[in-house]
Amino acid sequence: MKPSGVLMITGGIVLVMILAVSMFSPGGGAETADRAAVAERDSTACIASKEYMRSHHMKLLDQWRHDAVREGDRIHETPDGRTFEKSLNTCLSCHSQNRFFCVMCHQYANVEPTCWNCHLLPTETKE
Amino acid sequence: MKQDRREFLRKAGIGALAGIGALAGLNPLSALEKTDMSALSGKPVPGRTRWGMLIDTRSCTDGCRQCVTACHRAHNVPDFGDRKNEVKWIWKSRYEQAFPTSGTQFQKPELLGREVLTLCNHCAEPPCTRACPTQATFKRRDGIVAMDYHRCIGCRFCMAACPYGSRSFNWLDPRPAISEYNREFPTRERGVVEKCNFCSERLARGLQPACVESCPGKAITFGDLNDPGSTIRRMLSEQETMQRKPELGTLPSVFYII
Amino acid sequence: MIEKALKGNRAYWAWIALLIVVIAAGLNAWAVQLDTGLGVTGMGRDISWGIYIAQFTFLVGVAASAVMVVLPYYLHNRREFARIVIVGEFLAVSAAVMCMLFILADLGKPQRVLNVLRYPTPNSMVFWDVVVLNGYLLLNLVGGWTVLGAERKGVAPPSWVRPLIYLSIPWAFSIHTVTAFLYAGMPGRHLWLTAVLAPRFLASAFAAGTAILILISFILRKTAGFDAGDEARKKLTVLAAYAGIANFFLLGMEFFTAFYSNVPAHMHSLQHLYFGLHGHGQFVPLMWLSLLGGIASVIVLLVPALRSRSSWLVAACVGLVASIWIDKGIGLVIGGFLPTPLEEIVQYVPTLTEMTVTAGIWAIGLLLLTMLLKVAVAVKTES
Repeated sequence: MKPSGVLMITGGIVLVMILAVSMFSPGGGAETADRAAVAERDSTACIASKEYMRSHHMKLLDQWRHDAVREGDRIHETPDGRTFEKSLNTCLSCHSQNRFFCVMCHQYANVEPTCWNCHLLPTETKE
Repeated sequence: MKQDRREFLRKAGIGALAGIGALAGLNPLSALEKTDMSALSGKPVPGRTRWGMLIDTRSCTDGCRQCVTACHRAHNVPDFGDRKNEVKWIWKSRYEQAFPTSGTQFQKPELLGREVLTLCNHCAEPPCTRACPTQATFKRRDGIVAMDYHRCIGCRFCMAACPYGSRSFNWLDPRPAISEYNREFPTRERGVVEKCNFCSERLARGLQPACVESCPGKAITFGDLNDPGSTIRRMLSEQETMQRKPELGTLPSVFYII
Repeated sequence: MIEKALKGNRAYWAWIALLIVVIAAGLNAWAVQLDTGLGVTGMGRDISWGIYIAQFTFLVGVAASAVMVVLPYYLHNRREFARIVIVGEFLAVSAAVMCMLFILADLGKPQRVLNVLRYPTPNSMVFWDVVVLNGYLLLNLVGGWTVLGAERKGVAPPSWVRPLIYLSIPWAFSIHTVTAFLYAGMPGRHLWLTAVLAPRFLASAFAAGTAILILISFILRKTAGFDAGDEARKKLTVLAAYAGIANFFLLGMEFFTAFYSNVPAHMHSLQHLYFGLHGHGQFVPLMWLSLLGGIASVIVLLVPALRSRSSWLVAACVGLVASIWIDKGIGLVIGGFLPTPLEEIVQYVPTLTEMTVTAGIWAIGLLLLTMLLKVAVAVKTES
């Protein structure tokens, strides 16, 4: 075994360990919930069908808002068992790839949701 | 054979690194932080957790504002630069301002000038939630006194009710006064009241509040006051601590070591 | 019946036109406030309520004081109040409307005001205040209008209206008690945290409201040739005087408790208002003007030789109203925020926008009162 190979392997293992430790150790001597698996957020499929989301996204978001803000219930489970955080950011993690995703339809339908008074649109930037 | 095994180990090491990198959110496509779903353990049970904070004013350096900056940046808190329209979640007060009913006669001079970190106390008996006519501010099941900015009508009753001056109103549109957006957190809008949220969005991801994490002197301890085994409970039982205006019966969840 | 408000002389229409101009200016200022935010007012993080809430508090008292004529007339059958009782009821209606408008003007998100009804919150005093104020407005409007309508037709008022009028009597006490509870239940605001706040609110309301009724009776005699009668004015003068005494007595109680006990938190707000604190005393001259002017007015109202002269009576009534307006508005509401929870003193100066909105709302209330009284006077003088 060449010395460079040994170096690479041990270096890799050490890095993995450092990263693993830094990721899973709770910082600052505080008590936070145990963290095991990290769920997939960047799912390839939306939480519901395109048709359903088109007609019902406002109702779903309203429900999410109520659950997350007021009940502290932040997990949305789809019928096929996938889980998502109830957050507008969950939607934006995929849909902000098209910066005009929300705006396009709302403009066409001439609706002005108040979401963006506080939540940041992907198009909202600071110079 | 020997060559193959070396090749495999090398590739496995790189693969693991890449995997960790992706998990750690280095994927450039998703600018938003990944959510740790296990930390979001469903609906919280009322009264099981009560988040609290212990601030050691001795280790808090005068003139240091790192926690203030970290908090205000994390939560898109605007800076209007004038006292009238000021919005703040966490700030520093003088000892006599933070504890106006404590004795100041013959105290050591250093103490009287000392800067004390002040923020929402997340009271167990909050007067603000009692005064709110729409339940826009309410006590969460984990003890955090939260704001529902979607519901606030801006009557400012909570501001009159809060005996700690912990609440700010958006007298003007906050967005122009935010120097840099944190895209993971919303801003507020004109006409609603806002305040510290004990970083509930970070707690949901298993992280410590931004002020705790950013403190260079490790002056802030955060934890569950209802858990007898927690670090904060151990520290509270071992040292003399103070709460702000305890005579008002609000039962603050923020404690101080003087 | 409302058509009677549309017939009037030149002076009447000039007055209406003036009010409409002020209303237009007020609406314009309100539009500016809606567009920019409440930052256009003098309010800020430390003094988070200003003249809007001050006017609201004062006007709840004016509304409540209708009971000073309704109670003796309907419960004790004092006929001398027959001609002024409708004035009291309609004054209550316009004052209650102004109260609601001042609350609306003070909201950061007025478009969400119905959230108070969508999410009813019994532990919040605001919820109860909304309930009692609206109820009081309805009771007085329905009661006054129905009795007046019957009078126009020359028939006895329907029997169902009497229970409503009886109900409006305890209801009047409730609106000002609940308004006092808005303040009195707040820990850490020591000027407000006092059991005599509700009694003092009622006393000052009955003093100022009754004085306003006397003034209106003079205005009606001069402009509309409608005289409520000297007998009614005499009785009201005595009521205003004793209510004024009760008010200053209760204020004295506050001073005794705070200063004899020597508890700093209890003294600080009074010190700031009347003597200045930490070198700040923005309101000291105003508060002494209110105190001395108020006491002088009460003395005039008490001395028969003085109060029987119209000029002295009018001056005393104006003095008493101004005194209580300063004390209850500026002193109590704005002064209650000082010193701040962090023991600091800040200044509050209302802006022009804020004052224009305030004037606009007063003009709306006066317009409503003018038209209602025009109807009432027309019916009364015809019959």
